[in-house]
Amino acid sequence: MSIDTTHPTQRIGATHGSGSLPEIGPVAWERIEALLHRVIKPGRYVGGEYNSVQKAWDATDLHICLAFPDLYDLGMSNFALMILYDVLNRQPDLLAHRTYLPAPDMIAAMREAELPLYALESYQPVSAFDILAISTAYEQLYTNSLELMDLAGIPLRSTNRDVTAPLVIGGGHGTFNAEPIADFFDVFVIGEAEDVILELTGTFQRTRHTSRDEQLRALAQIPGLYVPQFYTPVYAVGGGISDLTVADPTLPTTIEKRLMPTLPATPVAQLVPNINTVHNRAMIEIHRGCTRGCRFCQAGAITRPIRERPVDEIVASAEDVLQQTGYEELALLSLSSADYTGIDTLIRGLIDTFEGRHVSISLPSLRIDSFSVELAEMLSGGRHSGFTFAPEAGSDALRHRINKDISTETLLSVAEEVFTRGWRTIKLYFMIGLPAETDEDMEAIIDLSHQVRRIGNRIGGRKTEVHVSVSTFVPKPDTVFQWEPLVDEETVERRQQILKRGIRGRGFKLSWNAYPVTKLEALLTRGDRRLGVLVERAWQLGARFDAWDEWCNQDAWNQAIAELPSEELRATFPSAQALLDHQLYRRRQPDERLPWDHLQTGVEKRFLLQDYRRSLSGELLTDCREECHACGILQHYRDLETEEWRCPVLR
Amino acid sequence: MSGPEVMPAPPTGSERHRITFATSRTLAYLSVLELGKVWERTLRRGRVPLKYSQGFNPRPRMHFAAPLPVGCGCEAELLDLSLNEPRTSQALRDAIAGVTPQNLVVLDVTAVDIHARSLSDLLQETEYSVWLRQVSEAELVEAVTIFLEKEEILMPKRGRKYRGKFYDLRPLVKSLSLDPAAPSPWLGLHMRVMARPGATGRPDELLRALGLADHPRRSSRTRLILESE
Repeated sequence: MSIDTTHPTQRIGATHGSGSLPEIGPVAWERIEALLHRVIKPGRYVGGEYNSVQKAWDATDLHICLAFPDLYDLGMSNFALMILYDVLNRQPDLLAHRTYLPAPDMIAAMREAELPLYALESYQPVSAFDILAISTAYEQLYTNSLELMDLAGIPLRSTNRDVTAPLVIGGGHGTFNAEPIADFFDVFVIGEAEDVILELTGTFQRTRHTSRDEQLRALAQIPGLYVPQFYTPVYAVGGGISDLTVADPTLPTTIEKRLMPTLPATPVAQLVPNINTVHNRAMIEIHRGCTRGCRFCQAGAITRPIRERPVDEIVASAEDVLQQTGYEELALLSLSSADYTGIDTLIRGLIDTFEGRHVSISLPSLRIDSFSVELAEMLSGGRHSGFTFAPEAGSDALRHRINKDISTETLLSVAEEVFTRGWRTIKLYFMIGLPAETDEDMEAIIDLSHQVRRIGNRIGGRKTEVHVSVSTFVPKPDTVFQWEPLVDEETVERRQQILKRGIRGRGFKLSWNAYPVTKLEALLTRGDRRLGVLVERAWQLGARFDAWDEWCNQDAWNQAIAELPSEELRATFPSAQALLDHQLYRRRQPDERLPWDHLQTGVEKRFLLQDYRRSLSGELLTDCREECHACGILQHYRDLETEEWRCPVLR
Repeated sequence: MSGPEVMPAPPTGSERHRITFATSRTLAYLSVLELGKVWERTLRRGRVPLKYSQGFNPRPRMHFAAPLPVGCGCEAELLDLSLNEPRTSQALRDAIAGVTPQNLVVLDVTAVDIHARSLSDLLQETEYSVWLRQVSEAELVEAVTIFLEKEEILMPKRGRKYRGKFYDLRPLVKSLSLDPAAPSPWLGLHMRVMARPGATGRPDELLRALGLADHPRRSSRTRLILESE
C-alpha cells in the first residue's frame, strides 16, 4: 500500500519558496494526538525535547529533515545526526528538523489515518522539506529507509522524483558500498558529512530553480558527493563487474571520502529526550579513527586517520554540555578509548571537575590490559557490573591472523585482575566464521571461556558469571578480508552446536546470531547495484526492521531472493542459489573489480592486499601510531594534516 | 547594590520545597520515571543543589504525590524536593525559570517543613478531566448513567501474576459526570477517584468500563486532594 497519491496534506506542484501554490503546512496536533492512545511509547512521536531547535519555518530559506530510519529510541542516540543538526542549525538561513521511523503499531495507525510522516520539531510533513537526509549507517536500515520514504509520501526511486520531492541523500558507514540502495537515493555523502554538508546545501540553494537533473550534476561536482545515477556498472558475462561508465566526462571516475582535518566542535546544546532512550546521556567524541588495524574491522578502516581532540577542549566541553543538558551521565565516544593519548589525564581531569556533582562517566571500547582495568576502576564509583573483553577469536594463532594482538596469557591475567577488583561478570565477545577458522578453534573458545570461568569461581565464588557472545563474521568492504567469502550455513550451525555443548552450566550465558540475519547483512554489505530490486521487492513483501527479532520478516526476504525480481537478475543468475553464490559465497579475485571500488576510503587496495598476505602467514601488523604502514591515507590527505592527527611523522 | 557584607548572611530559606506544576501535550506521554528524569535534568540545569540518596546508585530526593498515567497531562501536580543547602522558594523559582522543557509550567513553589508527611502519604483522591472524540453526547450520558447505577464493576487486575483475578472499580470512583467545559468537537468527562495504596482508581480503567477505551482522548489530572483539604 502506498499513500503518495492520496494524502491530503502532501505538497503538490510548486518548488519551495516560489509562492505560486499555497503551502499546506504542518500536520495538526489533533490528528497526531488521536493516534497516541493506541500505541506503545507514544512519547516517541511528539517531540518537545529540550534543546530542540525553535526556528521559524517561514523565516528560513532551506529546510532539511534529518532522518534515522529506525526507532526514536535508537536514533536519538546517533551522534552523527547530532553533529549535523548542530552544524546546520548554526546557519541562520537553514533549518534542520528530525524524524525517525515509527514502530509498526504507529506506522499502521498513521497509514490508516492517512497521516504522513512528519518532523518532530514542527510536525511539518517530511515531503515539505527541501532535503531529506537519511542515515544509512548499517545494512539493516535499508528496507526501513524505503518504508520511511513511503510513509512520507515520497517516490522511492530517484528517477521517479523531480524537484517537487525532497532531494534524498544518504550518509554513514553503509555508503562505502552504497550500490544495493543506489536506486533510491539522489546523493550519497562518502565519508564525514559534516565536512561537506554546507557545500551541499549551498549548491542546492543556488540550483533550486533548475531541474533535478541539473541540480544533481552540480552536486556531483562536489568532492565526496556520489550521485549514483550518473555511474552505471557494466557487467561481464560471468556476472562480475567489468567497468563503470560515467555519464558526464567532467565527473570524477572515483569518489574519495571527505574527512575533517580537525574534529568538529562538540555540539553543546545536545537534545535531551523526554522519554527513555537506548543511550540517554551526553556524548563527547574524544577521538576518531583507530590505529589497531584489526583486519575484520570496517569502522577502523574507513574512519582513518586517527584524530584526537585535545584534553582541555574535552574537559571544557564536558562542563558546557552537562550544564546545558542537565544530563547526569557523560559518554566519551571513540573506537578504542584506552588508545587516546592522554586518557588517564583526561579521566582524572573529568573526575576532579565533576567531584560531588553526581555525574557518571562511561568509557566504551576498552582494551584487554591492566591499564584499561585501572581506567574502568577509576570510573566505577565502587559499582562493578560487567566488564567486556573482545578477544574475537579463541586461539593466539587465529588472533594473529585477524591482527588482534592479545595473548591468552594476558587475557587470563587481566581477567584475574578484573575479578580481584570486584567485578562479577566478564563478557567475552567472539566471532566465528573467520577466514581459515576450523572446528578446533571452537574448542579454543570453549577452553578460554572455561578458564575465565574458573578464575571467576576461584576469586569471586559462585556469584561470578561469564557471558559469551558469539557473532558470525561478515567480510566487509574496504577491509583486509573484503575478498573473503561468507562462511556457509552448515559450518556456522555446526560450530554453534559445538559451542552450545561446550559452554553451558552454572555461571555461563551464551548468545549467538541467527544465520539468516548474518546472511542478509552480508548480502547487503557485499552486493552490487543489481540487488536494488531485491531490496524493493523484499520491502513490498513486508520486510522492514531487519535488525529486530520481533519484527524482521525472513520470509519476505527469502521470497524476494527466490523470485529474482528483475530481468537483469534472471538473465545473469540461473537460480537464487547462483545469485547468493556470486554475491556471498565465492572468494573474489585480487584483480576483480569490486562493486564498491569507486567509493574510496583513502586506504588503498594495494595495502589491503599486502596485509591480506600477512594475514595468511599469521603475521601481526603493529599499531600504526608507532610506525606508518603506508595504508594510503597520508598520501591522499597529507594536505589536510593538522596537529590533531596521530599518524607518525614520515621520513 | 549595598556595600560589602560584614557578616555572612544567615542561611535563609528551606531545605524542602513543594513545587506545583502543569504539563501538557509533549509531556503528557511520559511514564512516571521519565517525568522524574525530566524534572531531575531541569533542576540540574538550574544548578539547584539537589539532595541525593546514599549508596552506590544515588538518586535525587524527589517525590511525586502519585504516578501520572502515560498519556495524561496535569494541571496542578505536586513534587516534593529535598535540597543540600537551604534556598528560598523564590530563588528556586528563579533557578528553574528558563531551563524548563516545552509544556512544563511551574505554578507555585512553597517551602515545606522538612519533617512534613510525604505527599504519597497525604494523598486521598485525584480528579481527572478526560476529553473524548468520536462519541455522541447521548452515548456518553448513557454510559455514565449505567456506570453510576451499578453497585459493583469487576475489572481484570493488571499484570501477569494477577491473571484471572478481578477488582471492583465502582467504589474507587467518587464522582463521574459530563464536563461542559470541553470545547467542540470534544465531549468532556470529569472524574474523581480514590488514590490510596491498594485503592487507586485509574482513568483508563474507567474509560474501559465505559466502553470508551478506543476513543481518541486528551486527559489531564486536574487536582490532587490531600488529607488536610
